[in-house]
Amino acid sequence: MKVQNYKKLMGGSLLIVTMLIGCAGAPQNNPLLTEAEQVYSVAENDSLVVLKAPVALKEAEENLEKSQAIWKEKGDEKLVNHYAYMAKQKTAIAIETAKLNEAQDAVEGAESRRQVVLLTARRAEAIAAERKAKDALEEAREDRLAAEKAREEARNAEQKAIEMASRISELEAKQTERGLVLTLSEVLFDFNSAELKIGSKNVVEELTNFLNEYPMRKVLIEGYTDNIGSVEYNKTLSQQRANSLRNALVNNGVNTDKIETKGLGEQYPIATNINEAGRQQNRRVEIVVSDNEGIITQRKD
Amino acid sequence: MKLIFTMVFLGIAFSACSSTRPPTQQLTQTEASISQAEQVGAEEYAPLEIREARKKLQEARSLVKKEKYEDAKLLADRAMVDAEYAQIKTLSAKAQKAVYQLQESIKALQKEIGNKIQQRK
Repeated sequence: MKVQNYKKLMGGSLLIVTMLIGCAGAPQNNPLLTEAEQVYSVAENDSLVVLKAPVALKEAEENLEKSQAIWKEKGDEKLVNHYAYMAKQKTAIAIETAKLNEAQDAVEGAESRRQVVLLTARRAEAIAAERKAKDALEEAREDRLAAEKAREEARNAEQKAIEMASRISELEAKQTERGLVLTLSEVLFDFNSAELKIGSKNVVEELTNFLNEYPMRKVLIEGYTDNIGSVEYNKTLSQQRANSLRNALVNNGVNTDKIETKGLGEQYPIATNINEAGRQQNRRVEIVVSDNEGIITQRKD
Repeated sequence: MKLIFTMVFLGIAFSACSSTRPPTQQLTQTEASISQAEQVGAEEYAPLEIREARKKLQEARSLVKKEKYEDAKLLADRAMVDAEYAQIKTLSAKAQKAVYQLQESIKALQKEIGNKIQQRK
């Protein structure tokens, strides 16, 4: 009885020992499964992979679980290896998928960044163009102002000249298409004479002042008569009258080359020659004043 | 009862199929996957992976000839996963290259614009 009991105890102990040994020895490592587990564990803890490749990661997990289950049940090692390999590759696919998605996002991001760069550039260009346009506008405005000022000055000068000429009381100053024309009435000369009356001294004086004041301006003195007497005679008389006015001016110190003379006789009457009043108007001397450049508009015949 | 028996029978019959018939579908799919990977340029970007896939497919075919259909199917599956990996690796590498080039082009653009604006000033 005792021996039997002892034997029983021994048997039990042996069984337990055997079981324990079996437990420790049975699940040796499967290298492929271990590798798959490691790879998967890394991917599982990578938030990028979890976020960007959840499906491939899930497939890896399923394969890994299959492998582990078969391994646990001590099933076919071929299948353990198969699913471990599948798990490993699926994990690799998950990682690459995540990288691909990230790259695609980056491409989109880069595209929008490129747009931003282009936009910035366009804006900078627009600003530059605007500034250029503004500068041009400002320049044009300045040019216009300068031109206006020059015109204003010219107008003022012209106005002043006219005013000054007008002050010569015996002269009739007129702005004509030939420019400024001063008309001396016949009263400055005696009838049929080319000599200036004493009273014309004042006129000569003022004309001299005028020419001194405007050194750029020249004058053309044109003598005219009525139609009494021969054409030849009248022409000569008109030339002599023009000459005597010139001489008076030259005597007063005016430079000769500032004065031109012309005897035009009975041409270009300004009034009728039928009556004395008209004839008196036609007997005259006209002084054509040049422009600021010294150019005199000649009569167009 | 009869119906249940029929279903169980059919179930057994179908599950038996996988090991008694050649895995034609798997082979075809794997082949398609390999040529897809080749089309996107796996030969350049994942040469080892695509080679592995081809090798496994070939082995799977020879297993079919030896009528080892179950093994052939497993191998075809592994070839498939290799091909998939080759393809995604290729696409990923290409995309990363594109990102790099884009970033470079943006840098160049920025520089060019910078110069242009400077010149105007």
